[in-house]
Amino acid sequence: MSELSLSQVSTGYGRIQILHDIDLRVGDGEIVTIVGANGAGKTTLLRVISGLIGIWGGTVTFKGRSLSRSSVEARAGLGLVQIPEGRQLFGSMTVEENLELGAYCRRRDGRPFLEKRDEVFTLFPRLGERRRQQAGTLSGGEQQMLAIGRALMAEPEMLLLDEPSMGLAPLLVKEIFTTLRELNSRGLGMLLVEQDARIALKLADRGMVMERGRVVLEDKASALLDNPEVQAIYFGQHGGGGGSRTENE
Amino acid sequence: MTFDQFLQYVFSGVTTGSIYALTALGFTLIYNATNVINFAQGEFVMLGGLTAVSLHEAGAPLALAFVGAVAIVATVGVVFQLLAIRPLHSAGILAQIIVTVGASLALRTGAMLIWGREALPLPPFTGDEPIKVSEATILPQTLWVLGLTLVIVVTLQLFYRRTLTGKAVRACSVNQGAARLMGISYSKVVLLSFGMSAAISAAGGVMITPVSFMVYSSGALIGLKGFAAAIFGGLGNPAGAVFGGLALGILETLAIGALPMSGASGYKDAVAFLILLIVLFVKPQGLFGGRSVEKA
Ligand SMILES: Nc1ncnc2c1ncn2[C@@H]1O[C@H](COP(=O)(O)OP(=O)(O)O)[C@@H](O)[C@H]1O
Ligand SMILES: [Mg+2]
Repeated sequence: MSELSLSQVSTGYGRIQILHDIDLRVGDGEIVTIVGANGAGKTTLLRVISGLIGIWGGTVTFKGRSLSRSSVEARAGLGLVQIPEGRQLFGSMTVEENLELGAYCRRRDGRPFLEKRDEVFTLFPRLGERRRQQAGTLSGGEQQMLAIGRALMAEPEMLLLDEPSMGLAPLLVKEIFTTLRELNSRGLGMLLVEQDARIALKLADRGMVMERGRVVLEDKASALLDNPEVQAIYFGQHGGGGGSRTENE
Repeated sequence: MTFDQFLQYVFSGVTTGSIYALTALGFTLIYNATNVINFAQGEFVMLGGLTAVSLHEAGAPLALAFVGAVAIVATVGVVFQLLAIRPLHSAGILAQIIVTVGASLALRTGAMLIWGREALPLPPFTGDEPIKVSEATILPQTLWVLGLTLVIVVTLQLFYRRTLTGKAVRACSVNQGAARLMGISYSKVVLLSFGMSAAISAAGGVMITPVSFMVYSSGALIGLKGFAAAIFGGLGNPAGAVFGGLALGILETLAIGALPMSGASGYKDAVAFLILLIVLFVKPQGLFGGRSVEKA
């Protein structure tokens, strides 16, 4: 069971508390989405799960074992793989090198690199065409594809996605989300953080709404889609809601 | 200055220039991994030379003394990182840089206690019969210095471009957080960088000792020149570091040749810093741009 669960997690930056008593569970092969306005603490939550920032209290467990002693590096090897906000590709390195680095945590125990690389190129043919191109020169959509492809090289059991729609044209967002659905149909679990609540809830099984570091609403994704309150606040024109959608970081 | 004189200065310039290049490369490796300027870099050069002298005196053949000295100084680099730099991780870059200044003084003093105040020699790797080139002459040791520097630079490039570990090191310098998310241990990359940096600079120290001897205090000036070379080529840019080192070595010796007065060699050292100042005023990012161009 590649189940992720958080219990009573709190953290912050410096002395300022950002997350308050977060409880969360993502089952095997499930997609859970966290929606919320800019600054609600969604990215912070993903950073806690991947270990980039420590926690003040509470527990994070994956596949039944506590992650409290696992380093960031070790967590990827467990199958918990994050696609960070803003893609964070290695811009001066080629598409292929980015994929190689994605497989780094599986360098000893993983499936053959070429086999996995070709699967990624099958999923995103455009990456195959640009395999020797520097990642920084790709278009926004291609960069997001590479970010997903790079994560898949790690043979994840659960993906942590931070705003895959950010900065992309609606058509590309649709394409990316179709791919996510396909990956999920092969059994890959996901925790998806999005400002674009509508498209995220359409994909997800369950959803949570976050406000100022707390989970304020939690339900089946379909129920949240029909929830008038959610509709009013989070289905604005830009899908952003709760304030203007400013670029963060 | 006749052409032959010119050639003679160039030969001599590339010899010291290679050592500046290897020292500059040492700065670059550590800077790229950690953003720390290691002011003890010159001491790695000095330690390389003096350790080789001792190993050779103890009976090791030159080749073994070379390899042994490089390995020992690489270990010093790793231990230095673990004991002095790592504990200051959360204290910030400035604190780490200051500690390298302290370490350079400590290493210098330690070297004085071990090896004394005399400049010590090492025999040339293969004889000292000068080879005639036109009317100028070139020492076999110069060829060794150039050849080995080339081997080191090419090997380093292959390491960065072709091996997964090398790519992991580059990944860390581009985006540390993302690299860690891929399972790359940043702390191991830093250790590796310190070890490699110390090894490369120590190799320079061993190679130059047959030409200019080595004394406990030699590291200070070599370190500063190497730093100037790294800035000259664009801090963080390995190719720039190598170019900067060679250019600095050649310009320095040519300057002595061009200055008419006797005892001009006293001004030689000023040349490096004059160049450094000019570069910082005119093109602060160095001739080839610094590492920021590497970033996404
Ligand atoms: N590195 C940081 N240092 C200090 N405060 C931060 C940092 N990153 C985020 N914050 C603050 O934490 C809060 C939550 O941010 P974040 O998790 O990025 O929200 P979201 O991803 O939902 O937009 C914001 O108030 C933000 O200003
Ligand atoms: Mg965010």
